[in-house]
Amino acid sequence: MAARGERQPIDFQRGRNVTHARVTIGGEGALLPVVRALLPAIAAALLLGCGRQSASAERGDAARGALLYKEQCLVCHGAKGEGASGPRLLGWSRGEDALVSTIDARMPLGAPERCDRDCARAIAAYILGDLRDQPLVCNDDLASPRRLRLLTRVEYRNTIRDLLGEKPATTACGTHTFTLDPAPRAPATVHVAGSFNGWAGTIGKGGYPLAKKSDGTFALTRELPIGSHQYKFVLDERDWITDPANPNRVSDGFGGQNSVLSISCGGDPFDPTVAFPVDVRPEGFAYDSAEGRVVTSTHADEYRRAASAIAKRVAIGCSDTTCVEPFLRSFGRRAFRRPLTDKELSRYRALVSGRADVASGLRAAVSAFLASPSFLYRSEMGAPSPDGAYRLTGHELATALSYGFLGTTPDDGLLDAADRGELDTAEGLERHARRLLGDPRARTVVGQFGLQWVLGTAIESANKSAAMFPDLNADLRASMAEESKRFVAHVVFDGSGKLDELFLANYTLADARLAKLYGLPAPSGSGFEKLSFTDGRRAGVLGHASFLGSAAHSDQSSPIRRGLFVRRQLLCQELPPPPPNAGGVPDVDPSATTRKRFAQHTADKFCASCHQHIDPIGFGFERFDAIGAFRVAENGQPIDAAGDMTDVEGLGQGTHAPFSSLPELAQTIAASSASRSCFVRQWFRFTRGYREGAADLCALERLRKSFDASGGDIRALMIAVVLSPDFVRRR
Amino acid sequence: MKRRNFLAAMAAAAGALAAPRDRLARASPAPAQRLIVFYFPDGIVGTSSDGGRSAWHPTGSETAFTLSPQLAALEPFKDRSVVLTGLSSGPTDNGNHPGGAKKLLTGVDHGNGESIDQFVARTVGKAAPHRHLYLGAMANHNGASGDKHVSYVAAGKTATPEDDPQRAFDRLFGAPTSAPAGDDTDASVLDVVLGDLLDLRARVGDAEKVKLDLHLDALRDLEKRIKGLASPAASCTAPKLSTGAIEGKLYEPGMFPAILRAQIDLMVLAMSCGMSKSGVIQGSHHTSELIMSRFPGTEMHDPAFDMRSHQASHYGPRHDAAKREYRDYLAQRRWWVAQLAYLLERLRATPEAGGSMLDHTLVLMCSEVADGNTHSHDDLPFVLAGGAAIRGGRWLHAPGRRHSDLLLSIARAMGESIPSFGEASSGVIPGLLA
Repeated sequence: MAARGERQPIDFQRGRNVTHARVTIGGEGALLPVVRALLPAIAAALLLGCGRQSASAERGDAARGALLYKEQCLVCHGAKGEGASGPRLLGWSRGEDALVSTIDARMPLGAPERCDRDCARAIAAYILGDLRDQPLVCNDDLASPRRLRLLTRVEYRNTIRDLLGEKPATTACGTHTFTLDPAPRAPATVHVAGSFNGWAGTIGKGGYPLAKKSDGTFALTRELPIGSHQYKFVLDERDWITDPANPNRVSDGFGGQNSVLSISCGGDPFDPTVAFPVDVRPEGFAYDSAEGRVVTSTHADEYRRAASAIAKRVAIGCSDTTCVEPFLRSFGRRAFRRPLTDKELSRYRALVSGRADVASGLRAAVSAFLASPSFLYRSEMGAPSPDGAYRLTGHELATALSYGFLGTTPDDGLLDAADRGELDTAEGLERHARRLLGDPRARTVVGQFGLQWVLGTAIESANKSAAMFPDLNADLRASMAEESKRFVAHVVFDGSGKLDELFLANYTLADARLAKLYGLPAPSGSGFEKLSFTDGRRAGVLGHASFLGSAAHSDQSSPIRRGLFVRRQLLCQELPPPPPNAGGVPDVDPSATTRKRFAQHTADKFCASCHQHIDPIGFGFERFDAIGAFRVAENGQPIDAAGDMTDVEGLGQGTHAPFSSLPELAQTIAASSASRSCFVRQWFRFTRGYREGAADLCALERLRKSFDASGGDIRALMIAVVLSPDFVRRR
Repeated sequence: MKRRNFLAAMAAAAGALAAPRDRLARASPAPAQRLIVFYFPDGIVGTSSDGGRSAWHPTGSETAFTLSPQLAALEPFKDRSVVLTGLSSGPTDNGNHPGGAKKLLTGVDHGNGESIDQFVARTVGKAAPHRHLYLGAMANHNGASGDKHVSYVAAGKTATPEDDPQRAFDRLFGAPTSAPAGDDTDASVLDVVLGDLLDLRARVGDAEKVKLDLHLDALRDLEKRIKGLASPAASCTAPKLSTGAIEGKLYEPGMFPAILRAQIDLMVLAMSCGMSKSGVIQGSHHTSELIMSRFPGTEMHDPAFDMRSHQASHYGPRHDAAKREYRDYLAQRRWWVAQLAYLLERLRATPEAGGSMLDHTLVLMCSEVADGNTHSHDDLPFVLAGGAAIRGGRWLHAPGRRHSDLLLSIARAMGESIPSFGEASSGVIPGLLA
């Protein structure tokens, strides 16, 4: 048995013996090509006399190798050795000995001592044996897992809003309606002046005029920037008054009061989810929709509390026994997103009849509906189908489409369509999918995806140095998040709809705050506008402050996080976690630039084995500080922002793509097939709520092909994901 | 590696032999009634990557030892504490934070098991109004992913800490805990919900059954509260918690000390009122961006410089007092131990059954890695403090022994006679339990 770390010449004999192991482990058919390839070696082994060998411990144990492979190799080289961040192992042509010695000496990357010679032999035996190039055999047999999907907080909130019929969901984000009844006065004009328009004293100077209605009242609906604002009404461009209808006021510093207005996206004042536990995602999974969230006692408390609060707001409109059943059927169908079963109906009827009066009984029923698992989980369990698999029911499809495209519960029309069986055909499913994709609410869902995709949500809470970034307040943070949402939705729905544009766009959607941060001329209006970059500094999402600021520390950038973002999130290339003792960080000079300090880290050969794949990308972002503002110097020293997008199609390919600006990096990424296949995965993860597994590879391969064929058309991808056979078919 | 396994096996064998003798020698003490896990992130100043001796270990012998500067705040509770060193959470993922956090309370690689606090909640704490309390201080900051939370309700499934002390207080004491019949959330409503859940459970596959069984547990817990079977102890009148200063500032680093204190106060209050028997207080989370240099009135305070927990933990290859990261990291770790001491103080100051709460409570202090710069999962920092169930005033150094044995020992100290905990326990740690 070779001792750990021992380096000895490759033993020709030992290597040969592995072929025997293969005979017993691999199937004969599969074995043939390998045997053929090794025939000369086998002949040589026979000549040298295999009989001399007896120690089975010397033979690579492929079964053990399978376990070791999974533990130490799979993440980089893929489940089938097809290669991911690490090179492809299938079709290894340099022979067993070379493979064993390579593994022994160099693998796992950065921590070769974790795999000694026995380990290397076992893994090599597995790689050359059971791990075979099995071309992905795909047929129409695709099926994804049956499951129950717990509503996210956002989905819950949207669902309740729609169930209650409160606030039309199509109202654009950030709009507000001002109203004023000036009676007994009768002004000719009324306008709004406030922090959002420079307190314009006249309409000519930018005051927002309210329209006079026939009843003498005034009203104005318009978009306002996200954040907190102060304002007053100005009558006849002369008399400044506080909005009598708005109880929120602060002193104006002149003995009067300003009205205060808070504009948020989807700012429904009734938020039953405010105390819900946060939606926790698994490690490395970017999206709220994550599988694996479970209902704990705290959730049960909050679901109950929310159900009770909502029940009090439901317009029941039924007070005698004749309407009990129709109400239960109708509300139950909307809450459970399917007709009630007879058993459920009698259960809820019994609850109602046990109460003193119909109204309180129905309120209890509403409370039960909303605390029920049939409400809290979106069912994707399906019904048994003749082929032994399961098929999502029409109502489950309606639900999946509605949450998938609109982030909320299906409306009555969609449930009616499900009742009529319209979703049970591929044509019907596609027709409804396309209809929902055209609904304005789809923009919100795509926007949520966009912000989570660029890992930008953290910008709203990440601690930043107040000394370094005095202008960074909650409003600017909100603008940063809003930019990514609006930009991605804009590209998908108003732009080319192509993935390229997400990377390459020489414009963004920014408000005045963000324009200032980016050094752009302020937008003409008060909200978000499309602003072009002319300085060649930024491109697409790579230049977004939400991403740059989230992938940074409080007072310094993080080339590592930014580099990892490109690898993991844009190219789907996983790197192994730091090996044991990788944390032995060498001393660094605190006054050096970030780049120099990290260069010292990666001067260490041990660290460099992984960081060579991360830092050269991250260094290319060094012109952007910890909140994403452009800079030319750090610590008084000039910035070196030369980057290299190495191995864009997969680690170990040895390619280089030096860049000196984000638009150049964006070009390399956008031109790669890795970025396209990765985007397919990212949308899949977001909309399905889980990280793809082996069972999803065929579906993903089909989606990738169609996405490629469409030139990276994102809307087409969104449709293709729901038309994929595995969407309907479950196992 | 092999040598360590051998040592562990020897230690286990020795433990197996020693245990019956211990039992004969002593009257079996009353089991501890409750468990509080106190988690802090990013390890301690342990053995450095250049091999420098651990600055966490006490010096001296098992019973006559001096606490290290990092542990100094524990001095008033030395006789009630066991400092455990040498324990390892095993080779898997050794060298990174997430892997360590997953193993820390589960004793299972990759977090594929229930954590000790949840086990205690499900057994010892089953009848309490809230089986489990999971209180965090900035533990969800920046959308921390699940691997940053240390409490596992089931394999691979973490619970979510409540970062808002006021909200947690309201949940415990604020709204009426029971609902009178006729209320729109009374027991008959819950019965309907339970009926729906059981119907649904009959239709799903195994993976979803796990999910629904946890949901069912949660509803049973809620049922106790709704039916008024689980009200605060009669002695517990008008419980109060002061959280005014932190309102709306739950993620301002300067508020961290006040938030953590509020959560400690709440944990002690809730347990003194009989609301729960098992809880976790999680300070921040691993690879923490918590800017500890903004803690007012502490030795770390420096408004002009942001020193974060994880940043300080990478103090370099050697213990070098000339380096700011090293000095701050030491100060940070001292601070965490002082917070443990505050928790112990609160327990000791709360009278209970002729003594104090501390007599009937076990407190486990832990972090996911040993030395912050090496991320080692060997020689992890643990302190187990509390009452009669353990033999305090000791420093137990058990190099190479798996930390699952500590988790098993805790289960035993709580009166649960399980044979093992996690996937690598070989027996109770000798000399730990009374």
